[in-house]
Amino acid sequence: MKARILNRADVLKIVDQLRQQDYEVIAPFHGWGRDTFFDTVTDENRERIELHLPNPYYPPKRFVLPHIERLLKVRRANGGIQIEPTYEEPKRAIFGIRSCDLAGIYHLDRFYLGRDFRDIYYEKRRRNLFLVNLVCTDPDRDISDECFCVCADTGPAARDHFDLQLMDLGNEFMAVAGTPAGEALFASPIFRKGGVEHIQKRHTILTEVRKRFKTTTSWFATTIRCVSQGSVSERTWEEIGNRCLECGGCTYVCPACTCFTVSDRPVAANEMERVRIWDSCALSGFTRMAGGFNPRRTVHDRRNRRFFRKLAHYFIQRELSMACVGCGRCADVCHGDIGMPSVVEMIRRASTEVDKHERVGY
Amino acid sequence: MNASATENIYLPKTAVLDRIVTEIPDVKTFYWRFDDAAEQQAFKRFRPGQFAQVSLFGVGEFPASLPPSPTEKETFFTIRQVGSCTAALHQLKAGDRFAVRGPYGNGFPMEEYYGKNLVFVAGGIGLIPLRSCIVDALEHRDKYQRIQIFHGAKTPGELMYVSKLHEWELTPGVECHLTVDRAAAGWSGNVGVVGSLFAKPGVHVPVENTIAFVCGPPIMFRFVIKDLLAMGFQPRQIVSTLERYMKCGVGKCGHCCIGVAYVCVDGPVFTYEQIANLGEDI
Repeated sequence: MKARILNRADVLKIVDQLRQQDYEVIAPFHGWGRDTFFDTVTDENRERIELHLPNPYYPPKRFVLPHIERLLKVRRANGGIQIEPTYEEPKRAIFGIRSCDLAGIYHLDRFYLGRDFRDIYYEKRRRNLFLVNLVCTDPDRDISDECFCVCADTGPAARDHFDLQLMDLGNEFMAVAGTPAGEALFASPIFRKGGVEHIQKRHTILTEVRKRFKTTTSWFATTIRCVSQGSVSERTWEEIGNRCLECGGCTYVCPACTCFTVSDRPVAANEMERVRIWDSCALSGFTRMAGGFNPRRTVHDRRNRRFFRKLAHYFIQRELSMACVGCGRCADVCHGDIGMPSVVEMIRRASTEVDKHERVGY
Repeated sequence: MNASATENIYLPKTAVLDRIVTEIPDVKTFYWRFDDAAEQQAFKRFRPGQFAQVSLFGVGEFPASLPPSPTEKETFFTIRQVGSCTAALHQLKAGDRFAVRGPYGNGFPMEEYYGKNLVFVAGGIGLIPLRSCIVDALEHRDKYQRIQIFHGAKTPGELMYVSKLHEWELTPGVECHLTVDRAAAGWSGNVGVVGSLFAKPGVHVPVENTIAFVCGPPIMFRFVIKDLLAMGFQPRQIVSTLERYMKCGVGKCGHCCIGVAYVCVDGPVFTYEQIANLGEDI
């Protein structure tokens, strides 16, 4: 992939360039304390864009799958029904999307566009989305205690699925083009060709930063195998379920969760809209049918479900992408401490209690 | 089914109710057609066992079995009033409009059953999803060996599709056996659960080269499966249709996913062999 070098002072000029091309540019900002968020860049807030900051909890997934999205507008008149699908097709760029969230959007692409039925609402939002990936290089500000992209194999530097990738080399940044649209930006005079030393520096920084991840889930691959084979004991799922507060927070912050519910709401007399809203498999109503029958009776059934859906080999193969990208948000927000890394650890611990390696006798 | 890039998979098309027939208490059959004739034509290519999403705007959308066979003239749903959407549908009158999209799901692979005996076991409104399959099989009667229908209901007044049952009872080459849990005045037939019919004198259910279709409430399902397995049926010889809470019907919303299967796109028709491995209550 083609790379260029630019000065640190010129990085935000990429934002200007995109805005001049009529993109609505979304970038990360700092609120109070830990609070960080993605917002639309304006002339007023441009200077406050932050490159290194904790990844916002509210994932950028909402720019392709809004948490509430209108599907249809319906009007009743003279005994008839008029149904009008409503689409949004913004020209949008996300500046500073992290590698994990990029993998999340790629997973959503696979899920919403790659199966038998294509989701036209998703497709229209995705079509003109320009992605500027920022490599996490600052161990103090970029990497949280729960980040584990190194184990999910999505970061800290994404290998593809971006239009442009930026990496902080100190006084300079390296820009890598992932698509022809990204490469077109290199026409600007802020970019110049680098030397071998830049590639060397990129390598050194990445090697160093990989060692700075605090959460290591070395059992991730084994967990995937255990979950796929169904060899995790019911007792372990019960322990996990017992700690679940059924708040749905993990699914809300997950950049790779896809489930939604659909609801009709009135907007005027004889006029209503059908919307889809993010839904969560943690909630007991998720599978409850009319009449009250619920095939998933207990909370641990539902927790089992979430991790099975995310980790089972069958689904990884079906989507050619895993529904966990290692962002660590579920671990950050979970009050019961059953985010992905903890669940991996609980499964590891439970399996060491079973002496499946020591089934010997005389 | 592969939707084209421009097709909106969530967009239902308006339909009009022609007439409504009360089948049994709380269960009505709604005869309907799409406003757009071309839409109606396209829809009629469904397979037995598939389902459609029914929209009652302002209330919501729900999945409903398609009881007619594809070649029957009229399209209809038979719906029990159980939740808010079905209650709203039950309020409608002939001439009222609602909306439908579909058909969805895998349906029964009828071609795979050619040359076999077909045994239909339906408890209560479990006959709704099987009706399509039975009518379709009878339309292609020469493709199959024996055809047996076992239908049970709580009371004689709750037997489904009564006129159709009488028609089947009189059709040569079809063995139709009925039973009720509680007899009522005028009932001279069998009393007992549907499984009790298998052991009745004069009834012989062939096991070799047979496919058993089982639909009904969970308790009936469990007992009939037990009976069939005891008779020597292999799990893969038993097929059923599952129902789940669904929002989209096209494998996106995630509600109906059991184990590795999305009921809406991988089902709703599954063999008992598959169902037993999904790992959830039926």
